[in-house]
Amino acid sequence: MDIEIKDLHEKKISDILDRGIKWNLPLLEKNASVQSVLSILTARDHIWVVEEKKSKKVVGVITEYDILRLLAPARLPKYVFGKKYGVSIEYGTAKKAEDVMCKQVIKCSPDEKIGDVLSRMVNAGLRRLPVIENDEIVGEITAHYIIQILLGKR
Amino acid sequence: MMFDLKLLLIELGVALILARLFGYALEKVKQPAVIGEILAGIVVGPFVIGSISGYNFISPSIREGIESISYIGIIILLFLSGIDTGIDELKKASKSGIITSLFDVSVAFLFGYIVGTILQYPFIYRIAIGNIFSATSVGITVRTLMDINALHTNVGNLILTVAVLDDILGIIILSVTLGTGSPEILLIKVTIFFIIFLALLFIFYKMRKLNFRAQIPRFVLTSAIAFCFIFSFLAMSLGLAAITGSFFAGLLLSVFPQRRRISTFVREIGEVFFIPLFFVWVGSSFDFSALKGVGYLILYFIPMALLGKIVGCSLGAKINGFKNRDALAVGIGMMPRMEVALVVVTTEISMKIFPTKLAHQMLASTILLVIISSLITPFALKSVYKPSQ
Repeated sequence: MDIEIKDLHEKKISDILDRGIKWNLPLLEKNASVQSVLSILTARDHIWVVEEKKSKKVVGVITEYDILRLLAPARLPKYVFGKKYGVSIEYGTAKKAEDVMCKQVIKCSPDEKIGDVLSRMVNAGLRRLPVIENDEIVGEITAHYIIQILLGKR
Repeated sequence: MMFDLKLLLIELGVALILARLFGYALEKVKQPAVIGEILAGIVVGPFVIGSISGYNFISPSIREGIESISYIGIIILLFLSGIDTGIDELKKASKSGIITSLFDVSVAFLFGYIVGTILQYPFIYRIAIGNIFSATSVGITVRTLMDINALHTNVGNLILTVAVLDDILGIIILSVTLGTGSPEILLIKVTIFFIIFLALLFIFYKMRKLNFRAQIPRFVLTSAIAFCFIFSFLAMSLGLAAITGSFFAGLLLSVFPQRRRISTFVREIGEVFFIPLFFVWVGSSFDFSALKGVGYLILYFIPMALLGKIVGCSLGAKINGFKNRDALAVGIGMMPRMEVALVVVTTEISMKIFPTKLAHQMLASTILLVIISSLITPFALKSVYKPSQ
């Protein structure tokens, strides 16, 4: 291994963050149609939903798993509360990116330690976090990316 | 009497598996699983298993244990309802939804009050019936709308919004009308409760911006459950119902980014253990002998419960510019009662609002209302409403 994992934990996100990726993030405005969500997901496995493309303020995230649930035949849980259970592609209620995204996004910032961010990902059961600086998405930290760093492939 | 752990364990085991099987069977015939769980309760109750073996789900020696678990089930159910409803969604509710919901809840409540008046019950019973009438079950509504493929229509959208708003309005009315103590003191207590709620909401919004991280493993989930119980305690200390506390605790926690994780976790423990046991307990408390004297109550109770929703919601929808037929469809779509109605009636019974005999009759009537409303809603809605597509 090119980097000791303990050293990696002590580093900051900004040390490893590839700012060039900013131009290649899977971003979509919240008003975008479900069709455009699906077409991005043919190539990517997640989408950061932003308020609008210019401001890059993240308001939600859509993952493959969210969509998987919408692709399968609609099924309600045993006890239903809240409107979100009515959202479905089958019944035409999933229209916009906003309808299908997870609204509460767990984030990280460039000045946090990688170790802390990794524990957060483990605790929350997430494999990718957006890196947010001044209310704007500047990159993303994914499990893949951390492995690449660890093996010196980046 | 000695608390019989051995009996409790076998009863819990049998009840859980029966509830799951009956629930599944009912889902197969397109009925809500909750009805299956209530039927499972009737089976393990004093009239079926109880009459054969002498031991049943609410036998005196385990009754306290079962009741405690069921109350926890109620609190978890309402907590789940709060967190799934969500503050952000409430803020986004359409104006038409809010207006319809106000009409809906007030007319339904009024109809309940009228039932009590016709039957010459004292004031507090009339209000209690009104509260039972206010709640709607989104579950059956969503299922019905799916059946007729109307989830995406105006009607579908309005029904969903109203059904969600109903819960919160119903809970607020419940806390205002059923608190203990004199009206002035109660008003002060309710005000204190909501001030605490709003203050916490403000603080939680600030905390959300701070991006607070706990270093203790599993702290979020543990503290969420603990917060739910402590807030319910607070509500009870102020003379309100525990469910008011847990519902608002759920709403408060819905502002955090960890919302989905909390809701998934609470749903797991609730769905697997606590909530089915609550419905089983409801079923086992269904007293067949209460049905004898229940004639007049049911005669007014069920039709008025159904009518109240039709009148209230149709009026509300009509005011919002819906065509007659669509407005009627909204009203019919709002008829079903389920979880929350049962929670309200058991809460009222636990608050000792009704004398024992009437309490049994109230519970029996509500169970019948739940079953009848969920049986007839799909048919009624299909015959009235045909989405134009």
